[in-house]
Amino acid sequence: MSERPCIEVRAVSKTFRDDGRAVQALADVSFTARSGEFVTIIGPSGSGKSTLFNLISGLTEPDTGEIMIDGRPVRRDTGLVGLMPQRDLLLPWRTVLNNVILGPELDGVSKRAARRRAREMMPLFGLAGFENAYPDTLSGGMRQRAALLRTFLTDRDILLLDEPFGPLDALTRRELQRWLLDIWHRFRKTILFITHDVEEAVYLADRVLVFSARPGRIVKELTVDLPRPRSSISLLSEDLRRLEAELLEALEGNGPASTPERVESDPDGS
Amino acid sequence: MSTLLTRPVARRWQTLFQDVTRALVLVVVGGLALTMFVTGTAQLVREATETKNLSLEDIFPSPRAIAGAWQAHQDLLLQQHIPQTLWETLAGLSIALVLGLVIAALMDFSTVLRWILYPILVVSQTIPIFAIAILLILIFGFGTGPKIMVVVLFCFFPIALNTFAGLQGADPELISLLRAMGASSFQTWTKARLPAAMPSFFSGLRIAATYSVVGAIFGEYITAQYGLGVYLKRSYSSFRLDQAYLAILLTALLSMLLVLLVNLVERLTLRWYYTARRASWRGPGIY
Repeated sequence: MSERPCIEVRAVSKTFRDDGRAVQALADVSFTARSGEFVTIIGPSGSGKSTLFNLISGLTEPDTGEIMIDGRPVRRDTGLVGLMPQRDLLLPWRTVLNNVILGPELDGVSKRAARRRAREMMPLFGLAGFENAYPDTLSGGMRQRAALLRTFLTDRDILLLDEPFGPLDALTRRELQRWLLDIWHRFRKTILFITHDVEEAVYLADRVLVFSARPGRIVKELTVDLPRPRSSISLLSEDLRRLEAELLEALEGNGPASTPERVESDPDGS
Repeated sequence: MSTLLTRPVARRWQTLFQDVTRALVLVVVGGLALTMFVTGTAQLVREATETKNLSLEDIFPSPRAIAGAWQAHQDLLLQQHIPQTLWETLAGLSIALVLGLVIAALMDFSTVLRWILYPILVVSQTIPIFAIAILLILIFGFGTGPKIMVVVLFCFFPIALNTFAGLQGADPELISLLRAMGASSFQTWTKARLPAAMPSFFSGLRIAATYSVVGAIFGEYITAQYGLGVYLKRSYSSFRLDQAYLAILLTALLSMLLVLLVNLVERLTLRWYYTARRASWRGPGIY
């Protein structure tokens, strides 16, 4: 793991207009992630975590502050990172194989070459035999795997995963967590990973960022110094429990997401 | 602070006003519709029971009489009238398909074009096609051209409108994801919006297919040398209702064949759509 900062978020704030009201999603957020680091982000609903991903992936611009990727500022430059949104968003009219090659296809790689590489990766992602299945015929777990493979095949060094295992049952979730760590270890990607789950946040991460309720700001940064690989760690281990307790404390200190804060109200409600 | 106190009160009045208006509109429109229905039905019954010059057998010819008309005019119908109508229908439907797709794409691409095209599109459907059809014949003559144009007029609207709705209905989060992956706006269009619009496009095409034969008949009915429309017109003029029923049956048959053809193409191109439907509710499909 190199010490070079790969993602730098500097004093970023973002305010939205929602139904005529200004809603501040992020307030003065700063952090860095080193190349090859696994950073999880946890916080109550509506704490601007997904907004942060939209900013880093170049879909929107911050009101103030700056985001740097590999030392270059991001100003609505899309396609620099691999993004996996909360919903799997697989294209229903494409088979699994044709879905996962979307990234290379958009980059202009020939479909044949992209398919060859995708076929090689299928078994690793537990998708072997499902190449020609349509997404609507798959289980939730399989769909998430396909969405992850699509994100991996974008071939970006930075992956932003927004609650990828959120809708899954506990068993599938645990299995996919182990497997994600394995993939991450093999391919040395930098991963930002949003989650609601305290256990998941600690289990996966090198570092956990705790966000406050709206407007989102970082209230705690926790380094997870558990040894890797973690698949052998008992889920009941003392260290794990201690870190989880520490996280919970930081989260509860901020209370549940309050009603949207009015920053500047629009009298006409237009 | 004053706004904090007065606002909820104003809101409440506004809500009450809206509720009352809604109830009034419902009563007035509902009442009108009911009155129309009752008087309309009474009118129909009265006229149907009035004395007629034609006997019942003339109005409802027996299947044997219709079959007789088919045997008598088989060659004429198969060699001249049906091919003529079919040619006008297919040519018109194909032009309408391209035109509808182009209009839908243009409206989807630019807001300005949407503002310009949408009213024209709607107005084009409010003008009685009968009036336009006669104008077309006056302008372009008695040939096949004006009939094809009538078919186009009947058919392009459902295709354009449905395809446009489909394009606009593409999942915005999916579009965002594609943009985040670095897709150009052309790529998001070809890889997300267009495929997402295909089921709507096919429903539009299906409606157009049912209209298309009627459109051709309609054009021919005004004036033509060949075609089922002119056959129908001549049958009516000579009070040969057996022939008229034959023409109606053939028209219905052609329309059904066209709809089945559209369904077949749809099944073949939208395999994903039907796979998903089967997987979700396993219900019996239509046809």
